[in-house]
Amino acid sequence: MRSLTEEETKTLFSKLAVYCGRSLNNLIAPPSDDGASAERHVFRLQGSRVFYLPLKLANLAVSVPRANLLSAGTMIGKFTKTGKFRVNITALDVIAPHARNRVWVKSNGEMPFLYGGNLVKAHIGRFSQDMTEHEGVIVLSADDKPLGFGVTARSTAETRKLEPTAIVVFRQADAGEWLRDEDTLFTT
Amino acid sequence: MAPIKGSSKGAPTKGGAKSSKSSTPSSGSRVSKSTKPKGKRPPPKEVKAKARTAPENLKKKKKRVYTEAELDLPRLNAITPVGVVKPKGKKKGKTFVDDQEGMMTILAMVNAEKEGQIESKMMKARQLEEIREAKRKEAEARLAEKKNKLDAAKDSIRNKKKRKSDGGDNSTAVAGVAAKPSKGKRKSVAFA
Repeated sequence: MRSLTEEETKTLFSKLAVYCGRSLNNLIAPPSDDGASAERHVFRLQGSRVFYLPLKLANLAVSVPRANLLSAGTMIGKFTKTGKFRVNITALDVIAPHARNRVWVKSNGEMPFLYGGNLVKAHIGRFSQDMTEHEGVIVLSADDKPLGFGVTARSTAETRKLEPTAIVVFRQADAGEWLRDEDTLFTT
Repeated sequence: MAPIKGSSKGAPTKGGAKSSKSSTPSSGSRVSKSTKPKGKRPPPKEVKAKARTAPENLKKKKKRVYTEAELDLPRLNAITPVGVVKPKGKKKGKTFVDDQEGMMTILAMVNAEKEGQIESKMMKARQLEEIREAKRKEAEARLAEKKNKLDAAKDSIRNKKKRKSDGGDNSTAVAGVAAKPSKGKRKSVAFA
């Protein structure tokens, strides 16, 4: 387990910035609540996977041999062999509070999304204003629970004119992956 | 191989009497090359070779210095490829970013870049939307104009019919006799 290099950090942040806005700063320097200094969180690389964990835990994790360490903290995603970064569903809890764009799904659209489908217009309850196409978006259920994330297929203005069966959000990750990819989520 | 050695051996024996300086292996090899085809010429050439050898040796030493500095070597012929040259004295391996400030600066850079992209995208989208809106309005206006024209044409036809029908009613209403002259008039008009 090691900290990221400059290039890796840049790749990671530019990917996270697709989904998150300015408040991404809070991931690195959490705002101190009630006067007490909040615990610092760091990003660490183990194999090709990036984990987000408190500094204290990262220091403790050093005592575990690399080969034996499977996971520590929250997995954000993994670096591909070409050097790109893939955000994983496990990062949802980290990025959802800082989301730039959000889409709320009606209750009838939750299951199709959780089974790996794209979001069609008929399933969408409401969405953020001023979205352009191909922008990262967090998908939430009607009661504000994050379900996954994806990219918009159309801009907000265009979406309004679409027919109900047209795809509005392309799925990238959904909470159903916890079950579907249970075996391979941390191993390959 | 054998004849070369023999000639080189022979050269010092002949020239050894004249000059004791020419015992260097380089001079010997030069002589051997020249003496290969013809064996009679060596004595004059030997003298020349000796004359050359002294400055040549000096030059060679200088050249060696240049090669070390890699001044004369074309870059493509160098052992290390052009793209792979690493600066000397730099730390080997990766440079990690573990301090908060460093990460913040990288994040600020990334954020600025991303926001710029989104801003330009939004601007573009808005402009396109405006253009689309203008086109739509124009099309609507054209359609309305067409419709108006059609309505006007319809109205004009209706009015014509009405007038005709009104004229007919009047004639019938006034008297059945009045209709006859009108018919006659029509005929006359038609023939005229």
